[in-house]
Amino acid sequence: MAAMSLLLRAAAAWGARRAASGAAGAARPPWLAGAARLPGTVAPVRHSSGHGKRMFIIKATSFYDNRFLNLLRFYIFVTGIPVALFITYVNVFIGEAELAEIPEGYVPEYWEYYKHPITRWIARYLLDPPEKDYEKELALLDIEARKTEMRLMELEARRLMRHRGDGPWYHYETPDKNLVDNSMKSTPDN
Amino acid sequence: MPEDSDWEAYKVPPTRTPVTERTTSVPNPVTFFQAVFGYVVEAPVTYLREWIERQHAKNKFYYYHQKFRRVPDLSECLEGDYLCFYEAEAQWRRDRMVDQEIVEIVRERLCACKQREGPNEFQNCAKEMQLLAQVTKAYQDRYGDLGVHGNARTCLMKQKHRMMEERKAQENASQ
Repeated sequence: MAAMSLLLRAAAAWGARRAASGAAGAARPPWLAGAARLPGTVAPVRHSSGHGKRMFIIKATSFYDNRFLNLLRFYIFVTGIPVALFITYVNVFIGEAELAEIPEGYVPEYWEYYKHPITRWIARYLLDPPEKDYEKELALLDIEARKTEMRLMELEARRLMRHRGDGPWYHYETPDKNLVDNSMKSTPDN
Repeated sequence: MPEDSDWEAYKVPPTRTPVTERTTSVPNPVTFFQAVFGYVVEAPVTYLREWIERQHAKNKFYYYHQKFRRVPDLSECLEGDYLCFYEAEAQWRRDRMVDQEIVEIVRERLCACKQREGPNEFQNCAKEMQLLAQVTKAYQDRYGDLGVHGNARTCLMKQKHRMMEERKAQENASQ
């Protein structure tokens, strides 16, 4: 019901605006009872200079939208601004490395292959040296290769033992021959 | 390396614009705008950049290009030696990247030459064009139709097929 009255009110405001903006409202037949003008312009009244009559403008709420945008900006800037300041400080006062030829007889440390000081710091203190990474990868490969080899050998052994029957696998339990009762066959006339 | 280190190939020959003599007494307005731009934009920016460079110069440090040792190739690996395969594969990928950059640099030199010469490109850039044709043919022969899953093994097989074709062609030619 409230929505219906809102709808009717919005329809009346729209109709009034349309009729008022039409060419000189007097030319139109007066369908709408009474005011063919915008609400607020019915009678000539003196208003505060320049501001006009104070209107209560009806529009959809922007409270939630503004709250969302404020929170979004807040949480982005809370960490974003210190990070941006820190990165600016590093770029201005410490600066990037320069490219140079490797001097004779000098083996550079593994972090000296990067240009930006923050990348160098991360490579030096947070990550493992690439030699260690390489060894880790090779170790994984070695383990997997040995596993593959062992599995293939196991399959081959199983196949051979099943086929030849001379190995410890593929033994099937049979009852003990001492338990067999041979009394029925012990005399020829049974 | 992403940029060509040999700048001689890109040198533009000096322009031959003749020196004009002034026929009017009205000063050139372009010099005024150049002066304004210089004072308003260029001087502060240059000053700031030089100040930053001075801060940088207080503690200099360097970075280097990593040089990788050569490891045994895929053709020198024993069968089933997966570690050797892995190292050979890594080396082959690095070599392929280097070859791609070489082709890129030769192409850029040809483009620079074309830009310089303008309408004379077909005559004056013939050397660069021939070099590019040679380099792309070599690249296509080696890495050409391996596809996105191409690795050191498929490349080696392609090389084997190429050598077989060559030998067959030689035998046919000698008959």
